[in-house]
Amino acid sequence: MASPALSLADATFAYRRATPAVHGLTAELPPGAALALIGPNGAGKSTLLKGILGLVPLTGGALTVLGSTDAASTRPSIGYVPQSGSLDPDFPVSARQVVMMGRYRRMGWFRWASPADRRAVDAALETVGLTRLARAPFGRLSGGQQQRILLARALVSEPRILLLDEPFNGLDATNRKALLATIDRLKSDGVAVVVSTHDLELARTSCEYSLLLHGEQIAFGPTPEVLSLDNLERVNAELVDPHDGH
Amino acid sequence: MYDVLVAPFALPFMQRPLLVLLVLGVAAGVIGVFVSLRSLEFVSDGLVHAVFPGLVIGFVAGGRDALLPGALAAAVVAAVVLTLISRRGIGSDSAIAVVFTALFGLGVVLVSQQEDYAGQLQELLFGRLLTVTTTDVLVASAASAAALLAVGLTAKEQLFRAFDEQGARAAGYRTLGIDLVLAVAIAVLVVIASSAVGNLLALGLILIPGAAARLMTGRLWLLFPLAIAVAVLPGWLGLALSYTLSIDLGAPVAAGGTVAVVLVALYLALLAVTAVRRRRA
Repeated sequence: MASPALSLADATFAYRRATPAVHGLTAELPPGAALALIGPNGAGKSTLLKGILGLVPLTGGALTVLGSTDAASTRPSIGYVPQSGSLDPDFPVSARQVVMMGRYRRMGWFRWASPADRRAVDAALETVGLTRLARAPFGRLSGGQQQRILLARALVSEPRILLLDEPFNGLDATNRKALLATIDRLKSDGVAVVVSTHDLELARTSCEYSLLLHGEQIAFGPTPEVLSLDNLERVNAELVDPHDGH
Repeated sequence: MYDVLVAPFALPFMQRPLLVLLVLGVAAGVIGVFVSLRSLEFVSDGLVHAVFPGLVIGFVAGGRDALLPGALAAAVVAAVVLTLISRRGIGSDSAIAVVFTALFGLGVVLVSQQEDYAGQLQELLFGRLLTVTTTDVLVASAASAAALLAVGLTAKEQLFRAFDEQGARAAGYRTLGIDLVLAVAIAVLVVIASSAVGNLLALGLILIPGAAARLMTGRLWLLFPLAIAVAVLPGWLGLALSYTLSIDLGAPVAAGGTVAVVLVALYLALLAVTAVRRRRA
């Protein structure tokens, strides 16, 4: 097996040292494969994604991203798609301008978009199927379209790892299909994909590996093994709890 | 029309303030857009208060010529402190309010130790637009250009950070540096605006152009020329108007105040037009 894109060894992430948000994580993801993070709300899925980016401190164990333990240095090689609805809808940017932001880091300081940058943005818009809405204000797009634009923003940075935080929340069938197709294409290009989701069906169809968590690791491994009835029952109460809004 | 809008500027004492307001307007327009995008209105208010003791200390220590350097030094320190406080998040508004009310009070205490207390306080609070010297013009131009350059060179990073801080950090940016550049640029602008139209009116010159531009367009790159226009036009019109009122009509009015009134009037007019357009749409 090629060296893993991502590896966790008894990793703990915490906003404040005294109260770990999620702990005991041991997992490995090769390039070109997808990992589903499954657990109820507050289980630590988003925290783990931010931890991989180095935005939430690693307070125990080890995290290795693309062979490096220095999270700050690997960040530019990671694409990150936040949960939709977290951005100001009145912010005066077009969809295309949002996608272009994904190129800024490669352009470097004091430089502006080159023809190559513009071509990459056009290609990413094409990939997510939103070329015709490129000039529309970002805030006017539907939640699913905003999500696809943020995915395009992650794609133009040509990441080797892609992190998606609840990308299927509120997506209609069309957007869902488009996103699944994009994930499959990235995987065949050798990109490692990590998706947090409540959606077991998605995990079964698109993700080779699953990590079941609830403040700590419940199970990790190939998806069919992890999503066993036994394991699911251990987090089941929360996954179907009507009070968590899902 | 020519007599009112152009003729007064044949006089050197009218040319210097016009120049100051033009360079200030260009910088305030561009930087004001980022203030609006980042919702830094309250932080800007904090800076306006913090600059005041700097103006006074500079004045006390070195007289009129030390006023600007003193204030610039205070502003840069205040910008760094403010940025660090506001990044702590929760409770930062009260912290800003306490720190800068205290500093403003310190400024008043210091200036009250001076002879001719009332006259100096008035000049610091309300500006001294018509008595600016050639040196003032040069300092204002250099400082405005530096602030503009710093923000202009980091414009795409400022934009990314304003739109999506977490995304910017995830992309590998250290946002503290980006924040410091903008805060120091605002602080420098506050100083230049304070010395021109006065400490009390400086805030309007920094906040209104950006806010007005956002009323007029949702297109990012159009915001900048529009904000510059909103910042520059009242400088010119206000000066011309105050000259005509004071000299031709015998009703002396403060130039800085007139500029501010024209600026606010322009904003209100744009607000009204926007309201009508939205109702029709």
